[in-house]
Amino acid sequence: MILRLNTDIAAGIVGLAFAAVLWLPRGEMGRLSIIFPRAVLVILVVIAVGLIVKGFIRPGSRRVVISGSLRRLLVVMTGFFVWWFAIGTLGFVVSTCVAIFLLTWYLARVDGPVSWRRLLQWVPIIGVLVGVFYLTFTQVLNVRLPTGLLL
Amino acid sequence: MDMLLQALASLLTFESFITVLVGVSAGLLIGSLPGLTATMALAVLLPFTFSMEALQGLIALGAVYMGAIYGGAFTAILINTPGTPSSIATTFDGYPMARQGRAYEALAAATIASVVGGLVGVAFLLVLAPPLARLAVAFGPAEMFWVAMLGLTLVASLSSDSLLKGLLGGCIGMLLSTIGVSPVGGETRFTFGFPPLQGGVELIVALIGLFVIPELLTMAAEGRGALSKEGGFGKSHVSILQVAKRIFTKPVNLIRSCLIGQLIAIIPGAGGNVTSLVAYNEARRFSKDPDSFGKGNVDGVVASESSNNVMVAGSMVPLLTLGIPGAPPDAIILGVLLLHGLRPGLDLFTETGVLTNGFILSMGLAALMLLPVGLIGGRLIHRVVIKTPYYFLMPCIAMVTILGTFALRNSLLDVGIMLILGSAGYFLRLIGIHAAPIVLGLILGGIAEQGYVQTMLAAVIDPIPWLRLVSNPLSKVLAGLVVIGAATALLPAWLERRGLLDKVSSKAGGDA
Repeated sequence: MILRLNTDIAAGIVGLAFAAVLWLPRGEMGRLSIIFPRAVLVILVVIAVGLIVKGFIRPGSRRVVISGSLRRLLVVMTGFFVWWFAIGTLGFVVSTCVAIFLLTWYLARVDGPVSWRRLLQWVPIIGVLVGVFYLTFTQVLNVRLPTGLLL
Repeated sequence: MDMLLQALASLLTFESFITVLVGVSAGLLIGSLPGLTATMALAVLLPFTFSMEALQGLIALGAVYMGAIYGGAFTAILINTPGTPSSIATTFDGYPMARQGRAYEALAAATIASVVGGLVGVAFLLVLAPPLARLAVAFGPAEMFWVAMLGLTLVASLSSDSLLKGLLGGCIGMLLSTIGVSPVGGETRFTFGFPPLQGGVELIVALIGLFVIPELLTMAAEGRGALSKEGGFGKSHVSILQVAKRIFTKPVNLIRSCLIGQLIAIIPGAGGNVTSLVAYNEARRFSKDPDSFGKGNVDGVVASESSNNVMVAGSMVPLLTLGIPGAPPDAIILGVLLLHGLRPGLDLFTETGVLTNGFILSMGLAALMLLPVGLIGGRLIHRVVIKTPYYFLMPCIAMVTILGTFALRNSLLDVGIMLILGSAGYFLRLIGIHAAPIVLGLILGGIAEQGYVQTMLAAVIDPIPWLRLVSNPLSKVLAGLVVIGAATALLPAWLERRGLLDKVSSKAGGDA
């Protein structure tokens, strides 16, 4: 997918937006704590403005290429965040089993429809995989993974 | 010398051998998967080192690093897809060799070159790092500020098409480093009333997010299958000894590539892709038969693979002496050093000299281990890589990424930060703001802030406090280097615009 976008101006706007987010709460801080962030913020704003000006005078790339499917990209990105949220509420094992199963199914569909038989074949594989990692982290590495409502 | 012998003794244990063997194999496996870089290999395997002693953990990661860089050559040669960016130049001649049925010869040459490159890098690190660490003591706050700026300028210019975008990424990284409690003053900054943010953005969390998540999203978007099955080892018409004889009887190319690799590795931020491309270009330029490059000349493979493996240990010179990573994967090593309470500088070579030298020597052992692992285990690893469907691989890597991030501080918030940075990193990359300057900004932000604030405090009675930053000769030199670094980044574009620069490099790329 190709989007027509002046990347210099886009990068400049991103820089200005980021600077604005951090510029607002700076007033509450003491001199020693703000002296460095303030200097970097000023430099960031100068660079961002420079990029926007360059974007009008001598623009760099005028297009952005998103290789592959934008929909799949957004679905998987959203899936990651839902997975993260589910770990806290359902627990690591349950949420990870479900997330890996759904992601595997969703991505495998690119090659064509996935039969029930294949889906059933994946269940033990995913179960063992998640189980091995769960036990490695909890028993060997002594990391307490979130248990949530289930496990 | 005593420390070196003690380090060697601590390395010659069964446990260390197994750690190196497993580390090299794991690195080789991940490195041979296209899209999965050495940084990713280190980030994904990092949590497995948490329960290890400091030396053992560093040995494991050093071995993974070495294995991953070498692993990139497998797919570069067999299916024309570099497993890691460091192997881009290996495809130029490696793949044509494979198509001519000389895959084994190319792989053998890549293995020998990688082993030699790895050993040379370790030798340079052993020789160069201690004196440079002693020199680092002379660096006061103002000098450290300029060193941080120099690193950032070089990274910004090397890793982005546009210097301005690189610097913008660096500034974003530096500002991210200011979230949490300030190092001078002790106040809480930029937490937006959310107390868990007081801990700041953990370096490794940001690294995993910015380097791993965008690759996973790309894999998902492209629906990229596992490797095509076209790449095979082919029948070997030559033995490894014949290949070795050919390389060592004409050693100039190997020596030159190693030297180029080491010189570039010292520059902060110049990764293996830069070293291998420069070494390949020079090999072609000095060759008696430059036209054969790009058509299956084994010297091209040797130049690329020796230089990128020199970079593994070589890039740790600035890391261990000044705390500035020479290449993105070094940032993970820095994170591990800090996790174990080890700070780069002279102390690493005095107080914890045995550990540091043990780590350096272990990379030499890992380089030697490439020979058996690469030649024997390579076939097996390649088969596994080919047969693993990407739709299994991607969610599994995501799981390990989430686990590794959580395990750092037992914090789900870190996982969220990692995902936010990763998702943002994907879109930032689209508009030309790459991960490397942001991560380097995050690392160098702390160093720069301490240097800057301490210098300003010392200059509080000066009429113009800023001038204290360039008040002594060393800081003047470093400030000059920052300006030169920025200027050299702008020079090629300026020359090209004026029509003064012959586009030789683009022609080279086209031929390859």
